[in-house]
Amino acid sequence: MKVKRYLSSVFVIAELELRKIRHDQSQIWLRVVQPALWLTVFGVTFSAIRSIPTGDYTYLQFMTPGILAQSVIFVAVFYGVVVVWERDMGLLNKLLSTPTPQSAIVIGKSLAAGVRGLFQAAAIVVLAMIMRVDLILTPVSILGVFAIILLCGMCFSSMSIALASVLRNRERMMGIGQAIMMPLFFASNAIYPISIMPGWLRVIAVGNPLSYVVDATRSLLVTGNLSSIGIDMAVICVTTGILVALASLGFRKILS
Amino acid sequence: MTEAIVVENLVKVYPGVRAVDGISFSIAEREIFGLLGPNGAGKTTTIRILLTLIKPTSGKLSVLGVDALAYPEKVRQLAGYVPQDVSVDGEITGYENILIYAKLYGMPADQRKKRIKEVLEYLGLEDRANSMVNTFSGGMMRRLELAQSLVNRPRMLFLDEPSIGLDPNARGAIWALVRKLRDEFGTTILITTHDMVEADALCDRIGIMDRGRLAVIGKPGELKSTVGGDILSVCSQAANLPAVVKELGYSTIAGSANGTVDLLCTNGEVVIPRLLEDLKARGVETASVSLKKPTLDDVFLKYTGARIGEGEGEGGSWKQARRTRRTFRKLTR
Repeated sequence: MKVKRYLSSVFVIAELELRKIRHDQSQIWLRVVQPALWLTVFGVTFSAIRSIPTGDYTYLQFMTPGILAQSVIFVAVFYGVVVVWERDMGLLNKLLSTPTPQSAIVIGKSLAAGVRGLFQAAAIVVLAMIMRVDLILTPVSILGVFAIILLCGMCFSSMSIALASVLRNRERMMGIGQAIMMPLFFASNAIYPISIMPGWLRVIAVGNPLSYVVDATRSLLVTGNLSSIGIDMAVICVTTGILVALASLGFRKILS
Repeated sequence: MTEAIVVENLVKVYPGVRAVDGISFSIAEREIFGLLGPNGAGKTTTIRILLTLIKPTSGKLSVLGVDALAYPEKVRQLAGYVPQDVSVDGEITGYENILIYAKLYGMPADQRKKRIKEVLEYLGLEDRANSMVNTFSGGMMRRLELAQSLVNRPRMLFLDEPSIGLDPNARGAIWALVRKLRDEFGTTILITTHDMVEADALCDRIGIMDRGRLAVIGKPGELKSTVGGDILSVCSQAANLPAVVKELGYSTIAGSANGTVDLLCTNGEVVIPRLLEDLKARGVETASVSLKKPTLDDVFLKYTGARIGEGEGEGGSWKQARRTRRTFRKLTR
């Protein structure tokens, strides 16, 4: 019974966010614009240059999983700003006065960030299909990618919520978000393989959870080689678990 | 009479400040109790401790017979809360705002629809239920917040500055609602306010709070009578007015203006007709009578040595009101 109530709290918190999206869908589509430009401008240009070694695959094939992941982290990394804003509005105080456990609030909110990511991912996959990027689209690969995207959204949004409870103000959150975003994206295998990086950067890229998200997505959508997906999923799940726990523990601090 | 809330020696220390400095009080069931004091007196901190949102540094508290420090989730299930800041979500409809809270309180699905309909009707919001909340006025948002906390039928309701930032009409509507809740459902209500008029109009008992301490607790009427009785100012052209008033046995205040006599009494409104008749019987034509009752402001002055509006208080409350207004605007943008 307790577990049921807990899970239902998580889903209600996520439902709240989804209802907002339903009332204003433009926020989803506007978020698709930037990743779409990465594919159509950056992707098309770099395909023409052929300067990045992507093995047997075209550059667009190679980068599509990276752009999928990017579209999710762009939302997730700034999710803490939303939480700070809700704190300022008094919404959090009231939410915490209900019997909802704070970890359920954190998981529910990060789940919502993941679901936002799903809509965007779906839009980008459709765009890639229109651009005739050759992707493996089977029910299994699509479900697998959706699961990874959902976890990716939860992972980086809970990181952002954890940071919000330390930084506690919107300006700082914007600053840290931008500071994290750049190395997170470029020090990963999202738009070029780790093998072309200098040694020190490789170390960072291997420690970057986004690399595992992209690798898992790439295995499913492009190469079909699932040999490393077990490790990828393990890293993503453990990282998400740790970040959710950190965000839950610190959540009440955001109020003071 | 059972006690809904018992607070013993509650202390909350923040680095550098004792926000709540050893307060004790109890609230009976079905009572409307007000914490009155300027901004920064520790009222909101007290409410948040009672709601188990923050942990006190020391002290004991029980809410509806539950040890709130040991079982915070039980208290949260029984209590409703309307914070000072606007806490409705502008990006969803009024109905959805209530629905989410009904679900968070674990209300069974088969009861939800009916209960939500009930609170919407109760608060006069039924025809705007499906409008986005960012189209609501400030008063409607406050009513929606009440609806959110009422949907679970709380036995104890905490209202932090319920009428701040509202126009007089909306304020009157909120007061009427609060009274109705107590009368119809027997809800125990704790409000905080920095507004004397609100405390006087709404509360059965009030506690005057200043710098983290409770200066005095009592019924508004009793507290007012401790600062002296009513003052009646009688105006007349008759030269013998002061003599006649004294002859009738009233105690007058020295230094009244010419043609006016100020006299002290209790229950001034009852005294006026009798006084007028007596004066007429003695041939004194009265031009006017005015009654000045002591206000809670006078009470505050007596117990804390400062007027509530003085110094930080007024500036703070203005700032507060402006902040609330800004939030309304943000929501409706």
